[in-house]
Amino acid sequence: MAGTRWYWPLVWAALAFRLLLVPFADNLNLGSRPEVATPLTSLRRLAEGYWLKQSSLSPYTGSMYHGSPLLLIILGPLTVKRIESQPAHLCCSLIFVLVDFFTAMLIRAIGEKLMLTNCNNLKLLKPSKLVESFGGVDAADIASLIYLWNPFTVVTCLGSCTSPIDNLMVVLAIYGACSRIVPLAAFGWVMATHFSLYPGILVIPVLLLLGYGPDAPPPKLFPQKHSNGDGSLVHVFSWGPILQFALWVVIWSCYVLLLSSISLKGFDGLYDMLKKTLGFILTVEDLSPNIGVLWYFFAEVFEFFRGFFLIVFHVNILFMVCPLAIRLMHRPCFLAFVYITISATLKSYPSVGDAALYLSLLGLFANELAEMKFSFFLFCGYIGVSLLSPVMHNLWIWRGTGNANFYFATGLAYACLQTVLVVESVSTMLNHDRKLKKELKKT
Amino acid sequence: MASMTQRLKPSWRNHPISSHLLIFHLVMASTLLPSLTSAIPSFSSTMHNNNWAVLVCTSRFWFNYRHMANTLSLYRTVKRLGIPDERIILMLADDMACNSRNTYPAQVFNNENHQLNLYGDNVEVDYRGYEVTVENLLRVLTGRHESAVPRSKRLLSDEGSHILLYMTGHGGDEFLKFQDSEELQSHDLADAVKQMKEKHRFKELLIMVDTCQAATLFSQLHSPGVLAIGSSKKGENSYSHHLDSDIGVSVVDRFTFYTLAFFEKLNMYSNASLGSLFHSYNPNLLMSTAFYRMDLYQRPLDEVPVTNFFGSVMKTIHTDSPFRVISSQPKVKESIFLGDDKVKEIDKRNIKEKRCSFHLWMEFLQKKLVEKDDSDIIVMYGFGSMILLLIVSTWLSA
Repeated sequence: MAGTRWYWPLVWAALAFRLLLVPFADNLNLGSRPEVATPLTSLRRLAEGYWLKQSSLSPYTGSMYHGSPLLLIILGPLTVKRIESQPAHLCCSLIFVLVDFFTAMLIRAIGEKLMLTNCNNLKLLKPSKLVESFGGVDAADIASLIYLWNPFTVVTCLGSCTSPIDNLMVVLAIYGACSRIVPLAAFGWVMATHFSLYPGILVIPVLLLLGYGPDAPPPKLFPQKHSNGDGSLVHVFSWGPILQFALWVVIWSCYVLLLSSISLKGFDGLYDMLKKTLGFILTVEDLSPNIGVLWYFFAEVFEFFRGFFLIVFHVNILFMVCPLAIRLMHRPCFLAFVYITISATLKSYPSVGDAALYLSLLGLFANELAEMKFSFFLFCGYIGVSLLSPVMHNLWIWRGTGNANFYFATGLAYACLQTVLVVESVSTMLNHDRKLKKELKKT
Repeated sequence: MASMTQRLKPSWRNHPISSHLLIFHLVMASTLLPSLTSAIPSFSSTMHNNNWAVLVCTSRFWFNYRHMANTLSLYRTVKRLGIPDERIILMLADDMACNSRNTYPAQVFNNENHQLNLYGDNVEVDYRGYEVTVENLLRVLTGRHESAVPRSKRLLSDEGSHILLYMTGHGGDEFLKFQDSEELQSHDLADAVKQMKEKHRFKELLIMVDTCQAATLFSQLHSPGVLAIGSSKKGENSYSHHLDSDIGVSVVDRFTFYTLAFFEKLNMYSNASLGSLFHSYNPNLLMSTAFYRMDLYQRPLDEVPVTNFFGSVMKTIHTDSPFRVISSQPKVKESIFLGDDKVKEIDKRNIKEKRCSFHLWMEFLQKKLVEKDDSDIIVMYGFGSMILLLIVSTWLSA
């Protein structure tokens, strides 16, 4: 509530700041930073893929472009539009600013839904203590402002990479699921999985959101309060939205595959696309440095063991899906946040665009995570890593006075920070639930 | 190829008239075949698919400037007509461009008007200076290198290659002088060519020699598929064209000068024939007789375009669908016997195949997807309708 007065001015200021920096995008040259533009999201590769398509070759020839053909259709012609004395990807940057704005609005809407549900649940749980439950900050505004003002987001927006669109699709899926708009959730999930593979694990939080509704305190707290036979159990899993979701997923995926196959001229093209996009992500073909941990490892692993370690790394993410789902079943939005953070740490080609997304989703739970430990350490750590990582990269590549270990050290530190963030936020959330249980037991 | 013949059989039975025509043509071809295979072994069935050039200048010292200029002029011509550096082996025995006696440093001219700097853009010399020896030339030709020799110094031709071998320098009766210290003899060259033929390192070879008594150098050749032309016969000298008073030495030889005059009028797509090239040499202007030998070469010279050796034009099949591999080899083979109009009939027969209906339907869909030239517009409409559907469904569900 306190931030509402300054909310809209800050939003417009953030957009104006981006628009101010857009003409200087060439000087900043963020598209060449490995932390910003990965082989999957780089806009230069998209321009190359578009040119190949215009020369009636497959856009995937030569292992330059590894994204979706739909992005080629939307963004391809814009990469070619050139205006005098303006940076190369001006039109695309303007579109990304718009996309950022939509994402921020959607995050705010998600936050408002969460707060509303929270209020309702607390009213059900402790009707006498209404005043206490309204303490704290307006998480929705905070989260969307974090998204707009986060330096990572600004850098991603200006850095000629397609991460803003990936983030928009993920947030669209979560918003659709929160508001029980099934076609929207299915569309967001299908598109997010199509663009980059990892949001596929978000199917579990989306299903839980559609079935149970947004985040709520643990279900075992509720029956205690309804012992007088109110009859209205809050935590019931409804199967209707799930079936609708399955139907819409099938519709959207068929649509997407059909459009891709028409765009790539035939089913061979579709198979080629799957090999070059999914295959590229899963087999980690490109070992150029990025802010993740896979490239360093796979540069030195022997060919014989490569398959084994690929399975290990990818299953590392999958192993965490089930236990977290079981433990955080009552808080699907938070589960989505945890999944996004884990996949941002362990995916094949991470970038700061993923960090931008989960840091803003962190803001949605500002009230519950108020007592998170190590928050100052994490804050300083993020600033330190984002300052040191380009320095180490420069030392290694351009000056030659460093080596790969310098850069990988910052990557490792970044992975450590993200792990600490996940662990601490999960434990703080569980502590919050425990405290709630204790409070309710007292009354 | 076995599968092709298997697939051809059932469809011939369904079309009696075209099968009769085919049989008639086969009979015609079988009567022609013996005349083709008179003295020369079986007609080569491989397709010509790449061109190589080995350009050798064997003379050292400043006063042999013209031999460098000859070789570099031919290098430029061959590159201009399309052969890339990867398929040219350029051997220059001395460095005239950076010679201390060159008043135009880093420039080599082949004409006193200095219009063309042959050393200008992008000259890649593979064997330079003292690396140009008889042994290295024979190793390049036969492909018998030590394992440490890099790929750029190897002649990586195969059985579909046409090779141009151009040699210039000082020569005599049955020999060519290398570096003023050793000689390549005509039987060595013939032996190397024989080894090349046995190892299938070329489909056709054109040897062009610009030295004194050049024709004697290829007198011992007896491998099929070799065409050779020399600037002078036995007992004749080959002369330089003109002296450049600025540089101080002769800058080009007559034979090469008139060869270049022929090629400067051409571009990559010209189909001037080898016959016209060979007949363009005027003995009065050359002051020697340009003697060529075509007894080992079975195609008539008027049908062979010069770009078969000097350029790099190949049969390209334009397709809008980048994923379908069209196997063209059998088609070409049959067109030699039947002519192009019959090829289309055989194609149609191949398409009308009896396969299960699912495959037919998939093929139909595939063809429809492939034929669409405006697929981008369709995808844009599809995308727009997807967004529309999303908005409508969201509005209805909300």
